[in-house]
Amino acid sequence: MSAFWAVLWKDLAIEWRSRDRFAAMTVFALLVVLVLYFAAPPSLDAAQNAHVPGLLWVAYVFAGVLGMNRAFAAELENDALSALALAPADRGFLFLGKAAASFLILITVQALAAVFFALAFSLDLWPVAPQLAAVAALGALGISCAGTLLAAIAVRTRYREVMLPLLLLPLLVPVLLGAVRATTALLATGSLPWPAVQLLIVADAVYAIVSFLCFEYVLDE
Amino acid sequence: MSDANQLAVHGWKRSTAVALAVLGTGWAWAVWHAPLDSVQGVIQKVLYIHPPLAFAAYAGFIGTALGGALFLARGHERFDRFAAASAEVGVVFSTLMLLTGPIWAKGTWGKWWTWDPRLTVTLLLYLTYVAYLLLRGFTEGSERAARFAAVYGILGSALIPLNYYAIELFGSRALHPDNLQRGSLGEGMGLPFLLGVLATLAAFAFLLVRRFELGELRAVHAELRARAALQEEP
Repeated sequence: MSAFWAVLWKDLAIEWRSRDRFAAMTVFALLVVLVLYFAAPPSLDAAQNAHVPGLLWVAYVFAGVLGMNRAFAAELENDALSALALAPADRGFLFLGKAAASFLILITVQALAAVFFALAFSLDLWPVAPQLAAVAALGALGISCAGTLLAAIAVRTRYREVMLPLLLLPLLVPVLLGAVRATTALLATGSLPWPAVQLLIVADAVYAIVSFLCFEYVLDE
Repeated sequence: MSDANQLAVHGWKRSTAVALAVLGTGWAWAVWHAPLDSVQGVIQKVLYIHPPLAFAAYAGFIGTALGGALFLARGHERFDRFAAASAEVGVVFSTLMLLTGPIWAKGTWGKWWTWDPRLTVTLLLYLTYVAYLLLRGFTEGSERAARFAAVYGILGSALIPLNYYAIELFGSRALHPDNLQRGSLGEGMGLPFLLGVLATLAAFAFLLVRRFELGELRAVHAELRARAALQEEP
């Protein structure tokens, strides 16, 4: 358990001092929102804008993949990844520490991107902010859990920046489906649909448990 | 390997290939003579190839997940070579399945593709296993590639039921019929379908064994080269 806190603290301290990942993810998310606005401008007829809240997840996923790509990049320097693997701790807790750090960075980016998205698409997100934050956090949890495991794999392959989205996106479908449905319904009706939240929780639990158990095998001795 | 042994192995392969050819011919004959469907017409004959390909594709993916799990549990590289062979052959069969499906869909549903739950899950599974093969290709070192691939294969198959549940919950309505029950096929359609399943699964097993043998030979070759390199060093 102390390994969890140590890794989490280390990753957050590095991020606080450099702010590399945070800055890159935020700017990228804003650019994606900009592209989305030009690609799918909101119509004046509100009835035709039902799909718009779901677009927010395009920005979240792309920013998430970008951030996950950097999750293990720093560990490659000075072969710190081998040192992590040699740490006398359960590797599952190393995974939890890395995933928790990515999760915290991602939800911060999500909050900023949501504000920009609301301004760009003239959406009033404020009344549903707590529920939206809950959905965003559940989605971010899934992205960080699956992303951390697969980033640890992708970082040791050739073309690692290309490899991660190829590995991650097919597996993220349950989370994305639940998150998009929940967000769309939330903006349309003002309340959260329980089946979508249930799906998010189940998907997050599956990612977290499988990744916790499998992380053992993705670090080299 | 002695000459006699080698001859026996080749004899086994040749007779299996001949048996497959005979089975395939019988199947083609049965499909040709099967009655025409009264509603769908001749396009319905895709039935004799499309579901058998799907069975073989799923068998391949189950084999990949099992091989990967056994590799992680036991550490024998043979299991990994089996998983890799199974994924490759499975991707070939699912490519064929994804090519035959739209032909039938265009004829009966009126469009090449729909987001029916089974289609969507199968497409996702296909993409997952293509990514699996890319991962194997892009990872250096056979032991590391084996571990990474095993983890990815397990994660991929763990999500099959979840994907299915998710897409059934929110996706469009199902167009695929439920699993075939006894008697749901018209008269005269059972035999060609059964022959199709047998021939396709036999072809799958044949290719799987050949691909697995290739992996074994490659491993032997790599070991011999490594030994020769060691001997050359002064």
